[in-house]
Amino acid sequence: MTTIPSAERSLRRSGLWMAIALVLMAGVYVRALAFTPEEATQGLVQKIFYIHAPSAWVAFLAFGIVGVTSALYLFLKDPRLDLFAASAAEVGTVFTTTVLVTGPIWGKEIWGAWWTWDARLTLTLFLWFIYLAYLVLRTAVEEPGRRARYSAVLGILGALLVPFIHVSVYLFRTLHPMPVVLRPGRPELPGSMLVTLLSSFAVFTVFFIALLARRYAWARLVDARAQGEAERADASR
Amino acid sequence: MPPANGSFMVAAYVAAAVIYLGYAAWLYWRSRGR
Repeated sequence: MTTIPSAERSLRRSGLWMAIALVLMAGVYVRALAFTPEEATQGLVQKIFYIHAPSAWVAFLAFGIVGVTSALYLFLKDPRLDLFAASAAEVGTVFTTTVLVTGPIWGKEIWGAWWTWDARLTLTLFLWFIYLAYLVLRTAVEEPGRRARYSAVLGILGALLVPFIHVSVYLFRTLHPMPVVLRPGRPELPGSMLVTLLSSFAVFTVFFIALLARRYAWARLVDARAQGEAERADASR
Repeated sequence: MPPANGSFMVAAYVAAAVIYLGYAAWLYWRSRGR
């Protein structure tokens, strides 16, 4: 069980991590925009890659965490697993929003269309809907045990889409390009672009961890206070 | 295809910054007050 002081300590620590992560994110922007060469065919618009692909990676990581912690919750019934899954789902939804905003901007310039009902794009949109539904569900069910159980089932079902989205470019005829780093064989990028992309992946992951730590610390604090209030109410009866 | 101009790139970078900074700021201030 979480105590209020320990949750408050985690919250304070996470503030420092968020500040560090934001500085690193600024570094990614500078590196990508000012110190990475322009791609020969697409020109400047190709640089969207350095924020689009790492956002997608983090979204998949987040929903993978939701799937694993939700499955563990169903076995162990530890409420901390439910809070952790919910925190990862919220942060993952934010990263998916960025994927769904930056992708069409890139697509409009390169494909000539904001959107196409291609397998990968459509599945990613559905993934976003599933986790929006997950977040709405959590606000709609008041009883904590039932909320955690329902959320865990939906969280696992949503996470099952993730590997499917990753291989969708191999399974279907699609406009979306193949993976250039997370693929069989060697990465398919010139050195300086690869350095920018890999550092972007690393920094986005750190940013995700900082946001997740903050969200989880806050969720624990709210939970610990609610438990304290419930115990006081019981004692005064 | 000729190299594309930078306005779409700028739009995407600004949009991502607005989403991430917006969420980080919301999360920070909201959790500070609780």
